[in-house]
Parts: sequence; C-alpha cells; structure tokens
Amino acid sequence: MDTQSLTLALGDATHSGRTFDVMPIAGEEPVLQVIVSGAEETPVYITVTDTQILCLAYLFDEQELAPERLNELHENMLRISVPMPLSSLGKTGQHYVVYGALSPTSGTSEIMQELVTLAENAIDLLQTFEDYLA
Amino acid sequence: MRTVLKKILTAMRGGVNELGEAVVDGQGNRILEQELRDSEHELKQAKQELASLMAEAASLARQIRTEQDSAAKREDDARKAIAAGQEDLAREVAERIVGHERRASELTQTRELLQQRIVGLKERVQKAEKQLADYRRELQVVKTNERVLRTTAQIDTNINSQQSSLSTAKETLERIRERQAREEDRQTASATLEKELTGADLDEKLKAAGIDGEQDAVNDVLARLKGGNANP
Repeated sequence: MDTQSLTLALGDATHSGRTFDVMPIAGEEPVLQVIVSGAEETPVYITVTDTQILCLAYLFDEQELAPERLNELHENMLRISVPMPLSSLGKTGQHYVVYGALSPTSGTSEIMQELVTLAENAIDLLQTFEDYLA
Repeated sequence: MRTVLKKILTAMRGGVNELGEAVVDGQGNRILEQELRDSEHELKQAKQELASLMAEAASLARQIRTEQDSAAKREDDARKAIAAGQEDLAREVAERIVGHERRASELTQTRELLQQRIVGLKERVQKAEKQLADYRRELQVVKTNERVLRTTAQIDTNINSQQSSLSTAKETLERIRERQAREEDRQTASATLEKELTGADLDEKLKAAGIDGEQDAVNDVLARLKGGNANP
C-alpha cells in the first residue's frame, strides 16, 4: 500500500457511514491529509514507510498547556493510552499526537477503520484534556 | 538498541529536531547500515561454509559405511578360506580386513572433528542472525524517527502556508463544539418534525390543556355503568 493507491481507494469509499477527503501534503515525504466526515476538525495524516503505515492526528502543542499541570496531564495520557482503541498517545517535536501504526500489508478496510477511530479519538481526547490548556 | 534509544531521547530533549533534522545523524545511520551489510555478509558466508561442511560429513559417513561393509564381507571370505585349510589366503584376506578397519577408523576421526566444526559454525550462524535482527530493529527505530520528524515538519510548513498559523487546540475545540451543537439542533428539529407528522405534538398540547380524549371516554363509560344516565 502506498499513498497514491490510498488516495484512490479512500476517495470514493465509505466506512461506517463516513467519507474521506484526501489531500496530498506537498514535500519530499509521501504524506496524505485525510479529513473524516463527522470529525472534520481533527485531520489525520498518513505516511507509509517500508515497515509501517503511520497515521497521526495533532492534539495540542506544548506551549498551549498549563505548565504547572504538565505532570498530571502526562500521567493521565499514559494511563488513557492503553485502553484507547487502536491509538496511542505520543509527542513529536512540540506536538502532542494521537497515532496508530498499521502493517504495510493492511487492506483499505483496516486503514479506514484506523482513520475513523483516530479522528474520533482525537476529538474525545481534546475534550477530555481541555482543562489542561493554559 | 539501548544506545540508539538513548541517543534519540537526548537529541529530542535538546530540541535538535525542530526542523525535522535527523536526530541520529546521517553518518550514524550509514554506520548502522554498514554494520547491517557486514552482518548479512558474514551470515551468508557462514551458511555457505556450513552447507559445504555438512555435505563433507555426509560423504565421509558414506565412505565409512563402505569400508565397514567391505570388512564384513571379507570376514566371510576369511572364514571360508580357513575352513578350506587355505591358511595363506586367509592371512591375505585378514590383511585386507585390517586395511578396511583402519581406514574406517581414520575416516570416523575426521568426521568427528568435522562434526565439532559444524556445531561451532551453527552457533555462529545463530549469533549472526540474532545480531542482524538487532541491527534491523535499531535501523527501523532510527529511520521511523527521522520519518516522523520530517513528516511533521512537512505538515507544519504546509498548514502554515495555507492558513495564517496552525490552529490552536482551543480553536479546534470551539469548532468541535459548534459542530456538535449543529448536530444536536438537527436532531431536535427532526424529532419535532416527526411529532408533527404523526400528530403526536397536538396530542401533547391537548393533554397539557387538560383535554384527554382517552380519559373522557373512560369517564363516560363509568358514568353510564353507575347510573344508566350517561347521556345528558
């Protein structure tokens, strides 16, 4: 599965009543932005490597958080990461992200399931952790 | 693996990665890839050597069997010669038997040495395979890390060029709330419409005004049963 075939596959597909708006992100790396209908506020980004299909959504940046509550937030993020379906929490650069990794041999249906779950999880997480914003 | 993970964490904390810069630099990456290639090469060589040693051991086993078979056959011959009183012939055959047995024992010794080398080589192959798997895992971590950093840098640049800036979590939350409110409004509206279509809304209004058709009918029947004077 590469980003090109993903773009074609997702363009016309529906999954659990959702549609997908796919847009390539210009640059050296093959990156797609996918907007899942009904969860438009949290776009999911996909990149495909030799070993995995990586999907991620941004939650918040470090500078948006109340510094004195950072430890508590981290603790809660670690705890919630385990039971959350198909997604984990992480940090890259200044961005806190929710992400999921799939095998490169995954089919379109698994990828769509991941995208829908990730976009919905991102919304739930944002609302859950809203209190920690500065 | 530990070293790689620690390097990544140290670099991250230092904020080296802000522009998606490679954390374990290209040089380190190349060294890792070279180590991987060396390991692969060593593994390939060891496996080839192992295959040829095993072939040699099999061939030796075959030769040992041949010598043993020949010795056994000559023993029969020697017995027959002794039975026939051919002492000289029997001695000649016995000499042959000694030759076969000697060769068999020499070959067996060689084969045992070979077996030891095979065992050692198998251990080397296993070690190289494990090493190779370790290197591959390390390289995967390093490469994935770099990919994630480059990818997020690319996303940020792109979003920044499209909008004035990356939208903040608060703005996103606001948009989520607006959409959720719109969805709720839509649901309320469709529930209202549903009531209008079925007439349920009128029934509710009548009930609220104390006018309940069902209740009136029951009262009428009760009054009729009590006095037979239900109709005014």
